[in-house]
Amino acid sequence: MAVVKGEASEPRFLRGFRIGKLGVGLTGSYIGYQLQNLFLDGGRREERRKLFQNKAARKVREELQSLKGPVMKLGQALSMQSHLLPEEVLTELANLQMRAPAMHPSLARAQFKASFGAFPEDVFREFTAEPFAAASLGQVHRAVTKAGEQVAVKIQYPAIRSAIENDFKLLRSATFLGRLTGHSPEAVISEIEKGILQETDYLEEAKNIEFFRERLKPLPYVRVPAVFRQFTTDRVLTMSHLDGEPLMEFLAGKPSQELRNQVGARLMGLFTYQKFTLYTLHADPHPGNYLIDAGGTIGLVDFGCVKKFSPGFIQLCQSFSEQLWSCGEDQSRLLEQLMWGPEFVRKPRLTHKLLKDTIDLYQTIHPAPASNHTVVDFGDGKVLEKLTRLSHDVMRNKLVNPDWIFSSRAEIGLYNVLHLLRAKINTTAVWLDLKSALPTAGRE
Amino acid sequence: MKKIANDRKTRAAPKRPGKRAGNKERTRRNILRAALELFSRKGFFKTTTRQISVKAKIAEGTLFNYFKTKDDLALYFSEQELAGLIEWYHDQKKLQKASLPEKLFAIIHRHLERISPYEEFIGAVYLRALQPVSKLSPLSLDSQELNLRYLRFIQQILREAEEKGQIPKLGDFGAYAFGVFHIAMISYWLQDGSPGKENTLALLDRSLKLTSALKKGAWQW
Repeated sequence: MAVVKGEASEPRFLRGFRIGKLGVGLTGSYIGYQLQNLFLDGGRREERRKLFQNKAARKVREELQSLKGPVMKLGQALSMQSHLLPEEVLTELANLQMRAPAMHPSLARAQFKASFGAFPEDVFREFTAEPFAAASLGQVHRAVTKAGEQVAVKIQYPAIRSAIENDFKLLRSATFLGRLTGHSPEAVISEIEKGILQETDYLEEAKNIEFFRERLKPLPYVRVPAVFRQFTTDRVLTMSHLDGEPLMEFLAGKPSQELRNQVGARLMGLFTYQKFTLYTLHADPHPGNYLIDAGGTIGLVDFGCVKKFSPGFIQLCQSFSEQLWSCGEDQSRLLEQLMWGPEFVRKPRLTHKLLKDTIDLYQTIHPAPASNHTVVDFGDGKVLEKLTRLSHDVMRNKLVNPDWIFSSRAEIGLYNVLHLLRAKINTTAVWLDLKSALPTAGRE
Repeated sequence: MKKIANDRKTRAAPKRPGKRAGNKERTRRNILRAALELFSRKGFFKTTTRQISVKAKIAEGTLFNYFKTKDDLALYFSEQELAGLIEWYHDQKKLQKASLPEKLFAIIHRHLERISPYEEFIGAVYLRALQPVSKLSPLSLDSQELNLRYLRFIQQILREAEEKGQIPKLGDFGAYAFGVFHIAMISYWLQDGSPGKENTLALLDRSLKLTSALKKGAWQW
């Protein structure tokens, strides 16, 4: 029987085989890992199989087969280019992003040895074979050093770096035409690749942790772990244990509105401080990366994705923020530069509405001090929805400024967390307080 | 296909060797130790039996009483490694409760850990094993006992998984297939130039996870 590619008559195992073929090279593809998980994850397999059988999910398969798929899969930044896929599939993809396949105790132990040169039980006084948390690209185990310190040991899934490199090779060949026409700018792909590959080097992450631990000292409500360099390699990262519950567990304990507002205001303050004072962002504002304690202080974990902005970009952001409350041409001009960078080719018809909508949105998030309503209710999902939609629209345009992509990605993450908290925040007060009280000496 | 016999006999307590047999075994191990040291330093093909006998402090004629060729030495090494691997596996209480992919992963990883000091030697053994006339060839009569012992060991693990309903009944095929996979993994490991040979770990894990697809119906997606 002739088998027609992509037709319903094609045997199911063949369809699966073609998806499997996406894995390139012997170490495979990161997407391949995710797909393997998609089908083989014990309890959720059935549920996901059903998802794959519906029309929307079939589209994912078609996209993957035509090699447009990798565009959808690489990091949260890429998910901004979501106009190619239906929303429910994007949700599924977002769940898969940056989640390495789980390692069983024997593999985690073997990978520790491959990277560290000794087995964890020989290095630590105690080592828990089962992980207590999933991390981007790996998983985290509890351990006790021989000196008695409680630590968290993050172990990276083996060969994840070459898997990601394979995916980008696919991505580049898949987006060749897009790059030719400027719809998938090489600068954007390179920026995303750099960002994701940076996450695979735990020595880089160790540097980031030390940077933030030192530079966030002025914010007494933020806790950053200490790195144990002697137990750290490029694929194993050992940090001091941080108290607190991940945001979702914290919320499950039904904290008061007052406490949620306080945590929300602090998260916003932390974001603003990092961006405008350090020029550097902890750019992975996943709810699991915030450990909240009973006093509302914030423990920060997972420093794999850190973005350093150019001073020019931050100065533009600052000028934009300062002029936000004065309506005029300058605002649009500044925003144009922020979004598309200095090489922007003006296309008024395309951009006028986008710029106006974005300015409106920022005015909603940061109401003018003179206004009677300076408290923003992030429980209302409209802010997040509007920002996400605007980001998608921006990404559809050519020559998007890579700094803007990361900044937007982090901002969407922040507002998502504030939305989960259902926080009511006087954002203008947070901004003005930080602006007047904080020194700018932390800049590098 | 020849039916693999149950492994119970092979797991029965070994007979206590007599004094003379004990001495012979000690000499065998002494020769192997000396040979391995020379193989790692000079390579398998460049090491002569004379050098081995000097290193082991025995007469060259005595060496031939124990091992007629270097292939015999390599075969003895493989038997020792397999015995060590089986003993190690049965001592791992936590591993007995693990999933089938983890058990199989742990077996191959432990094997690689054991042979990692002798990488060059193993590479040479593989080259020799490719020659059908070599005693090391999987087709040779001399290596039959070793192969059967390995197959019984794996078959027992697979049978346990079959009884628990983790995989469908595979019969003898499962152990043979895993044996071929095991050999392929060692070949890949020998060539793996990634840091800490982590590519081998990734490939091993990804391949073994697919055994979950053997579970009835899972491949029908």
